[in-house]
Amino acid sequence: MANFLVWVVWLFAAFACLASALAVVSFSNPFYSALALIGNLASLAVLYLLLSGEFVAAGQVLVYGGAVMVMFLFVIAYLGDRHDESPWSGGPSWQVFGAILAGGAILAEVCVVVGLKAGGLLSKPKHIGRSFGSPEALGRAFLTDHLLAFEVTSIVLLVAAVGGVVLGSHARQEPEADARA
Amino acid sequence: MAAASWICLLLPLASAVAITLAGTAIPRRSTGYISTATTMGAFAAAVVAFADMAGKGASDRGAATTSWTWLSAGPYHFGLTLLTDQLSIVMMLIVTGVGSLIIAYSVGYMDGEDEERRFFAYMSLFVFSMLLLVQGGNLLLLLAGWGMVGLSSYLLIGYYQERESAVKAAKKAFVMNAFGDATMALALFLLVQHTGKLDYAGVFAASPHGGAVANLIALGLLGGAVAKSAQIPLHTWLPDAMEGPTPVSALIHAATMVTAGVYLIARCHPLFENAYVIADLAAGLGAATLLMAGLIALVQTDIKRVIAYSTMSQIGYMFVGAGLGAYPNAMFHLMTHAFFKALLFLAAGIAIHAVAGEQDIRKLAGVGKLMPFTKWVFLVGSLALVGIFPFAGFFSKDAIIAAALDRGWYGDVIYAACLAGAFLTGVYAFRLFFIVFTGEPSAFAREHFHSHRDQEGPISMLWTVGMLGVLSVVGGLIQFAPIWHLLSTWLDPVDAPIAEATSAQEWVTSALAILIGLAGIGVAWAMYAAKRVRVPRSVPLFEKKFYWDELYDLIWYRTGDLVARGFYALVEAPLIGGSIAAVTGVVGLGSRELSVAQNGLVRSYALALAGGLAVLTVVFLAVR
Amino acid sequence: MHGPDIQWYVVLSALLFTTGALGVMLRRNPLIILLSVEIMLNSANLLLIAMSRLHGGEDGQIFAISVMAVAASEVVVGLGLIVAMGRRNVDLDVDKLRTLRG
Repeated sequence: MANFLVWVVWLFAAFACLASALAVVSFSNPFYSALALIGNLASLAVLYLLLSGEFVAAGQVLVYGGAVMVMFLFVIAYLGDRHDESPWSGGPSWQVFGAILAGGAILAEVCVVVGLKAGGLLSKPKHIGRSFGSPEALGRAFLTDHLLAFEVTSIVLLVAAVGGVVLGSHARQEPEADARA
Repeated sequence: MAAASWICLLLPLASAVAITLAGTAIPRRSTGYISTATTMGAFAAAVVAFADMAGKGASDRGAATTSWTWLSAGPYHFGLTLLTDQLSIVMMLIVTGVGSLIIAYSVGYMDGEDEERRFFAYMSLFVFSMLLLVQGGNLLLLLAGWGMVGLSSYLLIGYYQERESAVKAAKKAFVMNAFGDATMALALFLLVQHTGKLDYAGVFAASPHGGAVANLIALGLLGGAVAKSAQIPLHTWLPDAMEGPTPVSALIHAATMVTAGVYLIARCHPLFENAYVIADLAAGLGAATLLMAGLIALVQTDIKRVIAYSTMSQIGYMFVGAGLGAYPNAMFHLMTHAFFKALLFLAAGIAIHAVAGEQDIRKLAGVGKLMPFTKWVFLVGSLALVGIFPFAGFFSKDAIIAAALDRGWYGDVIYAACLAGAFLTGVYAFRLFFIVFTGEPSAFAREHFHSHRDQEGPISMLWTVGMLGVLSVVGGLIQFAPIWHLLSTWLDPVDAPIAEATSAQEWVTSALAILIGLAGIGVAWAMYAAKRVRVPRSVPLFEKKFYWDELYDLIWYRTGDLVARGFYALVEAPLIGGSIAAVTGVVGLGSRELSVAQNGLVRSYALALAGGLAVLTVVFLAVR
Repeated sequence: MHGPDIQWYVVLSALLFTTGALGVMLRRNPLIILLSVEIMLNSANLLLIAMSRLHGGEDGQIFAISVMAVAASEVVVGLGLIVAMGRRNVDLDVDKLRTLRG
């Protein structure tokens, strides 16, 4: 029974994930695409929960959904509703064909790897304890084994913040710079 | 005697080098004096060697001296050898004797020329080359001298470098002679292959008797002789060579260089006796040339060209003699011809010099009245040419004609041809004399005639011509075939003839030749002096020199041009040009096609990334 | 708890990645492209979490959190650029940005 339930939840989440991803890529209005991405992120959080990554799931919702997507929506609202009449056109004639071919190739290769090369490796997940994926376990890992990653990530965030401020600032000379450029 | 031979050879070389190195440091006239003095010194050395040789017994007169081994390759060793024997001393005396007279003459003739120094340097170079040719002790040195006389001839024909016709004539002479040089070289290759030697004694002893190889060797040597001596078919360069100054025409194209072919046949007579077909061919070519040249000379209007065709014709006689095997007769005629032909050229030169360089006989007509000395020496020369007793040509030419009777039916045909040639000689020689040197002077001559300090020409020109006149009178007296044979006896150890006429034949031939010659003179007198007989209309065949030039233009030039054009169109433009164009085209095409990938669109680059990822994944999967 | 084996998560991740890649290659609006990049990053995250579960260690999850942080930073910079484009009245069309054409 529990297995069946897990399968149902998984299928539902997977389906939502793929559908929202396709929606992101296909809507012509960027606002709708951003909203579809929020749905994508939520379904991914569900999948993380199924994989016993509770902290990561929470982080996904908070950081991605709460911060990143809000930023996206603010910018889209700021820039106005500029949606393309023909979102899929433009570019060289071989672009569409090449893109589908490359994407399909990658997909096929992954399936080949999973099916033929990986053998039965992917069918035997290790046994895990109760504290797997808990905040306590991750926190300990961050501050002991992966301290450098932790520190570097925080510096990256700092740099990004500074960059964002610089890019978004109003310099007084901008109009003349525009006229000269 | 060896020292004298070396001095004789090297003095002209020293003169050429000295004049070249001195450059403009010495006055122009001095170069003439240097050149004359050294050539006379060479003549003196030759006389000393001759005297020394004459004192010895008949069989040990020849002497070969080697200074060092010149060329050494494997089993073949060729030395820098000088051979002074009876034949070469005759040639040395002729070359230096007549040469020094002609060079002395040119001191006066070339006086005032801008490039006088260059002229005398080349003349000395020529004398040295000719001496190397006749004194060379092996065929290799002969070939070296052969080539160098060709070079000197080229330099001297093209002496008036600004004149395009002179340059073209020089090139024509050189190219034709180069053809002869090539055939000679091939003959030498065959000789080395079959005998391993090139010195005369070794070659004559070891060369094959008869057969294809002997014929080829003789043919190769004959090719060189024909080219150098301007016989059919390599004769067309000689009339054009008259573009050079008159002393050059006298020395090179009358007295010495063009006779080198005859010397070659006389020297290498064993090789020709081994291939009698080729020797007969030589005689046949000589006979054909003497007739053809005689016919052409009847209609020429340039005084030097008439004398040039006369030279061609007389060398034909020498070839007849050498080809049939009457070597001493051929050498005798070579000697007398040097005297009277040089005389004719130089006398013509006095006339040309006096009338502002004009060479057309119609314009020069009657100038004899203004220049009596020249008229008389020219008459002497013409009589010697026609072969009237007692002038030099009589003794030598008749001997050759008579010797033809010793060679069967072929000789008889040649005999007839030679007698016909004698008639033609009488006509054209005296046509020239009567037109130019008798009758009233033409308006042109009267207007442009200028004497040189009340004489007909500079003194250097007059005394040298006088000397040659004397030689033309007495030079033949050293041999009169039926009675006394100084020259034949002298040459006998080296050059024994294989065709000799009997005394009776000699007497008959001489009588016939004189009568025929006088008949020719009579015809010329009737047409041009007394003007009793109307001059027949000129035949285009003779005027166009039997169309040889046109034939060669067609065979060599047009074919060569066609082949070159064909190659250009078929090979060079499509293959070579095309391959280069293809390379550039491919590169251009490739870069143009590849630049499509650089379209500046982010999305295309993203596609490239994705595509690369797909391909790399496959690679990693395959490798693992 | 059972449920699908890890390979299903891998296949799902591949599908998400392909969808994101198609979005990057086929859309002209930079905002949509940025969203598609987000999808690709999330697909990688999913794969990391799945592998972490397979091996029983938290390293994958640590990596995933770092990826999330980096993705956030990248979005900040990207949106800043887009805002700068919009302020200069440049059309929001990546095909118009062709100065680096070869």
